[in-house]
Amino acid sequence: MMRLIEAELFKLRTTPGPWVCILVTMLLTGLGITTAFIVGHDHVVTFTAPTTTTGLRNLVGAGYEAGVVMAPVLGVICITTEYRHRILTATLLLDPRRPEVITAKIVASALWGLLMSVASFVMVAAMGIPLLVVEGGSVSALAHQVGPVVPGILAAYLLLAIYGMGIGTLVRNQIAGVILALGITLVLEPIIVAIFGSLAHMDVNFLPSRATQSLAGGLLPRGAGNATLTAHVLLSWWLGAIALVGWGLGTAILGYFLTFKRDVT
Amino acid sequence: MAVVTGAARGGTIEVRGLTKRFGRITAVDDLSFTVEPGRITGFLGPNGAGKTTTLRILLDLVGATSGSATIGGLRYRDMPEPARSVGAVLEATNFHPSRRAHAHLRMMSIAAGIPTTRVEEVLGLVGLTADAKRKVGGYSLGMRQRLQLAGALLGNPGVLILDEPSNGLDPQGIAWLRDFLRHLAREGRTILVSSHLLAEMAQTVDDVVIVSQGRLRVQGPLSALTAQSRSAMRARTPEPQRLAAVAHQAGFAPRPLGPDMVLVDGATPEALGPVLAANQVVVYELVQVSQNLEKLFLELTTSMTDQSAVRMGAHGAGVGQPPGQWGPPGQPPPGSPEQWGPPGQPPPGSPGQWGPPGQPPPAAQPVAPGQWAPPTGAPSPWRPPPQAQPPRAQAPQTPPQPQPPGTGEPRR
Repeated sequence: MMRLIEAELFKLRTTPGPWVCILVTMLLTGLGITTAFIVGHDHVVTFTAPTTTTGLRNLVGAGYEAGVVMAPVLGVICITTEYRHRILTATLLLDPRRPEVITAKIVASALWGLLMSVASFVMVAAMGIPLLVVEGGSVSALAHQVGPVVPGILAAYLLLAIYGMGIGTLVRNQIAGVILALGITLVLEPIIVAIFGSLAHMDVNFLPSRATQSLAGGLLPRGAGNATLTAHVLLSWWLGAIALVGWGLGTAILGYFLTFKRDVT
Repeated sequence: MAVVTGAARGGTIEVRGLTKRFGRITAVDDLSFTVEPGRITGFLGPNGAGKTTTLRILLDLVGATSGSATIGGLRYRDMPEPARSVGAVLEATNFHPSRRAHAHLRMMSIAAGIPTTRVEEVLGLVGLTADAKRKVGGYSLGMRQRLQLAGALLGNPGVLILDEPSNGLDPQGIAWLRDFLRHLAREGRTILVSSHLLAEMAQTVDDVVIVSQGRLRVQGPLSALTAQSRSAMRARTPEPQRLAAVAHQAGFAPRPLGPDMVLVDGATPEALGPVLAANQVVVYELVQVSQNLEKLFLELTTSMTDQSAVRMGAHGAGVGQPPGQWGPPGQPPPGSPEQWGPPGQPPPGSPGQWGPPGQPPPAAQPVAPGQWAPPTGAPSPWRPPPQAQPPRAQAPQTPPQPQPPGTGEPRR
């Protein structure tokens, strides 16, 4: 199994797709950092260093929204590249045990997701901290928010990558998979939250984005449907984690039985 | 030729009663054959014959509907180290175009637990060392085939399964592949090579497994097929019907070629000549013809309607057949079905070819010694030789005939 995981990681690092994901994540994190400094008060928008706990946590977790978007895309790319370039044949010739192969892919995409989250924190350190100092903010105050935010963000990236791999396993077509992953996050979930959460008052906290938000500390007010759900209480972090694991493994297992076990013709 | 050292002797590939259906389409139909180590076996058939499906079942990429396919007695998935036991080349497109050739092989070596030093070795074996750092997307089809072969050799396997490996190779590349496979077979490896072109494989393979419409048509040594393809005799005679009847009674398979020409499949000069002499059949010309191997292959795979398969002995005969005959036991040799009549009857033909039923064939024209004469009523392409020759009648003549290009020897 270790050989397979190592080979999958090698595959990821020798193709441009995963690196592009990291690059886009860092760019989106830069946008998140910028917005963490924008404060609106009495209809006046100012660019200033965050001082509140929420503001500081938003700065530490500036890559959160990038992860919500890009980690599933990474997961999709992880598996659909096998189909797009017909590499699956070579993969299964090297090891025909399909459960082991897909397990290795899950682990590899999770680890690469972790790497993406590290890249986002690197961006926070490289851009956010200097900006905070320039704007007169407190680095030590920021450091106090690292503990509550960072583990959740790391876990969110990791589990969202698995979730994306599950989507890719189901869909197999790379473009369709990416569109589906983005569509669920950016379009479908906000609609579900708006209709079933706000209007029907149903529990929508188990949806991937909401579960991710719970895992990341629940202190990130931006995001789909959050403004209309302020009264709703998010899941505890561990329940959010379980929900995300469920989404990731559920789609992967479903995809395994529906598509991955199929004949490779 | 670089030496592949330390090769394990290959296991026997056994396919037994293999059937694969895709919905209502039967791609492979009760297929059975064996591939022995130390030999190159050509797995031949037209496009859509079920070759690739069979190979993919063998490699556990496709599940069989019924039957079994094993290598060395094991299913591919049950092998402890499949990449070290079996190397496969299935298609020249399964690379990531952005990955470099060296990285592709490195990835394979990691997954298979093979030392990275082996990557350099196989790159050298297939002549890609200089291009190893290039992205595969920039490779020609021939280079990709070589890279595929390098990947197949990575684990130094005893069994090689190659699906159309010469696709995209130029003549030099095909010659190189031929020598390379021969070298590997000499090391005791089991090599199964599929192709839809028999002629292309004719100089490479030792044995053939010919399939069509998912069914086995022929299995055996190529030498038997080659011998069979050269065992037809062409006879020019004023009495074609009688010659055909005599040949048929002697166990040969005659068929009309023209008003005064009969092709006797499965006959040799030594076998047919005495029969015709004993029956006093007038013969102007009796020539051993080399039936084109590719044509025979096409007949086997397209015209043969019988469902049973033929297993060849080492000397050309199918099981249960007299030597020199092709086709299922008890069946006429391959050819257009309409050319063949019921058993015991001379082969029918168009009236113009064989003459009206019940009518004697045209009488042989008396030919004085030292004279040439064309058959009655038929223009002859022959011209009298400058010097008078004795007539060719009632005796087998087997002068060596130069073959026209593309008929006497397999096409390369």
